[in-house]
Amino acid sequence: MSDESALLREPWSNFGRQREAGKFGIWVFLASETLFFGALMLTYTVCRVEHPEAFAVAGRETNIWYGTINTAVLLTSSLTMAIAAQAAEESAPLRRLVLACLMLTAMLGLAFIVIKGFEYKEDIDKQLVPGAGFALSQPGAQLFYGFYWLVTGVHAIHLSIGIALVSRLFWVLLRRQLPAKDNPEIEVTALYWHLVDIVWIFLYPLIYLPGRAS
Amino acid sequence: MSRPGESGGIVRRLWARNLLIWAALLALLVLSLLAAYVPMGRMTTASGIIIAGVKSTLVVLLFMELASAKPLIRIAAISGLVFVIAMFALTFADVLARI
Repeated sequence: MSDESALLREPWSNFGRQREAGKFGIWVFLASETLFFGALMLTYTVCRVEHPEAFAVAGRETNIWYGTINTAVLLTSSLTMAIAAQAAEESAPLRRLVLACLMLTAMLGLAFIVIKGFEYKEDIDKQLVPGAGFALSQPGAQLFYGFYWLVTGVHAIHLSIGIALVSRLFWVLLRRQLPAKDNPEIEVTALYWHLVDIVWIFLYPLIYLPGRAS
Repeated sequence: MSRPGESGGIVRRLWARNLLIWAALLALLVLSLLAAYVPMGRMTTASGIIIAGVKSTLVVLLFMELASAKPLIRIAAISGLVFVIAMFALTFADVLARI
């Protein structure tokens, strides 16, 4: 198989083993990412248990439309990323579908960042940055927004890395520097992308939904 | 090389399968949005987290293909979750005892 020999890397002597090792490696990394974001969410949960009312007030101040639309954008990017990864594994040559889906994924990721930028602008205008002149009087509300800025910022960094990885993949496949079919880089990049989506799936109810019913 | 008709069938199957998962994810997103406005006390908060759990399970099992992955991969994937559960359980054993 010429495709496989083009993709085979040191130190592996066999392409099947290389794929398994790559997949195992990225899952171990994703497990460590789960713990990283898990620790941040644990901090949020402890603060929320101690300041339930302040968190409801603070949550109500977030813009639910930006949050919900961005969640839909990211879920859609996971759809296109999944199709790119699955199409690369099919027996039929689906290079164009892989390329189109990778491009859509990167563009949806960029759309998320742009929408988030508008949201940040609105938050700053509403004086929702913790510190002097903070808009809400409850002390717990500053804890909520401390978490908000930290975790959405870290998530945006993760997403930006994902956009760079997907764009690079698109470029090397477009220029035929690497074959698309059975390329383990697509699978590994897709797994990372989906984790960034999952982190946001959990951030959505923590940030945007508190205090809506009261 | 496969014929164009055959690859057309594969493409349709790929889209059909994944669009179904995507539609379920969006439906769950709308459900969690609506549930957040229903005053059910603690259940309102819980509904958001539970729906997020269902959504991420769909992504992990179907988009990330953990449902068909080998045991070694599953162990690596589940290890993160196990340690997060331990971290939450040990922390709340302390925090909830102080309230």
